[in-house]
Amino acid sequence: MASRSDDNDIVRVDFAFKRELAQKIEGNLANFCYQCGACVGDCPATRYSPAFNPREIMLKVLYGLEAELLGPDSVLWQCTNCYGCHERCPQEVKPVEVIISLKNMLADRGLAPPAADKVIQTFMGNGRTVPDNPAIDKQRAKFGLPPLRPVPMDEILVLLEPEIEEAGGS
Amino acid sequence: MTRYAFFPGCLIPARHPAMEFAIRSTLPKLGIEIVDLDGASCCPDPIYFKSKDKLSWLTVAARNLTLAEDLGLDIFTNCSGCTATLSETYHLLQDEELRDRVNHRLARIGREYRGTSRVRHIATLVRDEVGYEKVRESVERPLEGLRVAIHYGCHLLKPSRVMQVDNPDDPQVLERLIEALGATPVRHRNWYLCCGKACDGEEIPNQMMHDLLTTVHQEKADVLGMICPTCFGQFDHGQMKIAKLFDEDFHTPPIYYFQLLAFAQGVPYEKLGFERQRFKPTALQRYEEVAAK
Repeated sequence: MASRSDDNDIVRVDFAFKRELAQKIEGNLANFCYQCGACVGDCPATRYSPAFNPREIMLKVLYGLEAELLGPDSVLWQCTNCYGCHERCPQEVKPVEVIISLKNMLADRGLAPPAADKVIQTFMGNGRTVPDNPAIDKQRAKFGLPPLRPVPMDEILVLLEPEIEEAGGS
Repeated sequence: MTRYAFFPGCLIPARHPAMEFAIRSTLPKLGIEIVDLDGASCCPDPIYFKSKDKLSWLTVAARNLTLAEDLGLDIFTNCSGCTATLSETYHLLQDEELRDRVNHRLARIGREYRGTSRVRHIATLVRDEVGYEKVRESVERPLEGLRVAIHYGCHLLKPSRVMQVDNPDDPQVLERLIEALGATPVRHRNWYLCCGKACDGEEIPNQMMHDLLTTVHQEKADVLGMICPTCFGQFDHGQMKIAKLFDEDFHTPPIYYFQLLAFAQGVPYEKLGFERQRFKPTALQRYEEVAAK
């Protein structure tokens, strides 16, 4: 695990963390970050919460400071997913996508927030993010709309089974 | 009539059927034939589902795209979230290695993603395939004098390299679509701000919505026009919450663009489901009174 060592305050790069992140889709993009801060000025989360700063998050990723990124109640969930940083980054780092890769690592560690678990749970039940409710089709009928179309959950659940035959994560 | 596969997503068909009704009522008048997709699931959700497992997210999204590929049709969406998921999937799966990984999973159910169906948000579909002039011609009661504040939301525009919709720093599409109805679009000062729905927690979204609603109200607009059902929720129930929390008189009714279009095309006010909104766009009723005279 990466850390600032106690004796002389030197930051040591945690390559194991960085390799794990690189396994995630678009997880390795932070390597191209040159810390210009273009992502910060346009970040609505930074505007309202100084604790959230995409440039600092990218710096921590470059060092592999796992303890500061992947704890419970991680600051990463404050990202508004507005994609402003993706738009601004001159290096095409896509900070929001790096943050999403980090969130995938949080989820692997069982540290996703309840809101995320709720969405997945609902989806696993009916293939939608809105729970089933007889009132839905009644409302639809008022507008002359047919009932919601069924989702073939057998297909969906097969797709979501983990890949045992393959090495590496998502 | 040009045929397009309709990807309705979850929120509009389940929570806002009035919006779906409006889409099904307006598009045929613009020469677009809606083809329903059998077996479509949630897009899936570009926030939490993607945060949990991006590969599964891509796989489920790719499966949805194959449904349109089977029909040989391009796909249109009515929700910015669905647009984000499906557009990004289309974009990312141009990478052969990633496409192979996803197709490896899709093979479990005998499907293959080929990348042959383009994805478009309904607003861009109307702009590019119908054109503003034909929208204008379809209007039966021009909404002259109606001031419509604009909320673009984030995922219609950004990331622009993926979405390929409009310039995110100075977008035009919603303004032009509003003008085609005879109404006056109003760009309030915080027009670019995010609705905050995808942010976990209360503090950031509450402050952000407060700032957004403040500049919306400075413009004294009749309604707030938008094209995303998630943003809509933030501006309907959410607006009430923020008004109470900050003790402010925020009350601009949000309206989904295609309901406004349906109304301008002559669909009666009471058929458009506005009674279910916290803030009802009653300013529209004066156009019915004019027509009745």
